[in-house]
Amino acid sequence: MSEVQRRKYSQEEKNAIFDGEFMPHIDSMYNFGYRLTFDEDDAKDLVQDTYLKAYRFINSFEQGTNAKAWLFRILKNSFINEYRKKSKQPTKVDYQEVETYYNSDDVHYQSTSDLRAESVKDMLGDEISNALNSLAVDFRTVIILCDLEGFTYEEMAKILDIPIGTVRSRLHRARNLLKEKLQGYAHNMGYNTDEEE
Amino acid sequence: MEMNDNPSGERKMQCSDESKCFELLESILDGELQDSGKEVLKEKLAKCQPCFEHYHLEQAIRDVLKTKCTKHAVPTELADRIRKEIQDIK
Repeated sequence: MSEVQRRKYSQEEKNAIFDGEFMPHIDSMYNFGYRLTFDEDDAKDLVQDTYLKAYRFINSFEQGTNAKAWLFRILKNSFINEYRKKSKQPTKVDYQEVETYYNSDDVHYQSTSDLRAESVKDMLGDEISNALNSLAVDFRTVIILCDLEGFTYEEMAKILDIPIGTVRSRLHRARNLLKEKLQGYAHNMGYNTDEEE
Repeated sequence: MEMNDNPSGERKMQCSDESKCFELLESILDGELQDSGKEVLKEKLAKCQPCFEHYHLEQAIRDVLKTKCTKHAVPTELADRIRKEIQDIK
């Protein structure tokens, strides 16, 4: 929302943009909010805040550009600036996990040979969701944006205010962490992870 | 895919630069490399077993994330609540 106001929309245009370009994304916005906060009411507040801001700053939205990415960026910023501050409970971030992965130059996924595509395909939705939800918020976010919402690296870079190279490496690290979690499930569920198929 | 039919014995069992290769494969799966990616992919999958396995694992993970991750239904009153708030600030 730091963009310079490009023009002023008429009331009619505002309504058309809001209904035609913003509201259709409410499902994705709510799901993103829910996966950030893990709470229905917080997710609702976050989405509502986002839409109110979007309306208030509608003149800085350029028609024909990606409304969904624009909205996601507002939601992400609201989450960081307001929700996390307001929330008495610190967000569940495993800082050690984040530090280890951010500070290490040589992040290497060791266990490729163990987790198999076949075991992943057999997993239940709950297991996949839980594995995703257990990741620190920065890692969870890139996977949600990329795999669940289908944003490109360039769009993600804009949403998250980070360079594309950082998007790529953060995704890579997030996926390695996700694989570790999935591997844990695979072992617990007694899937064959060691033997040749 | 015909590359799946390659017996794994024809592929090298060690990847000389796993970290870089895997990151590249992931970018290809994310649709970031378009046409140039297809050539690289074909080569890697045909010649390198760790890359072959990694690619299929990553593809499976993307598929389950897309198809099995629980979607939460948007509470019906949310859209109404938002429209009402907007009416108030108009």
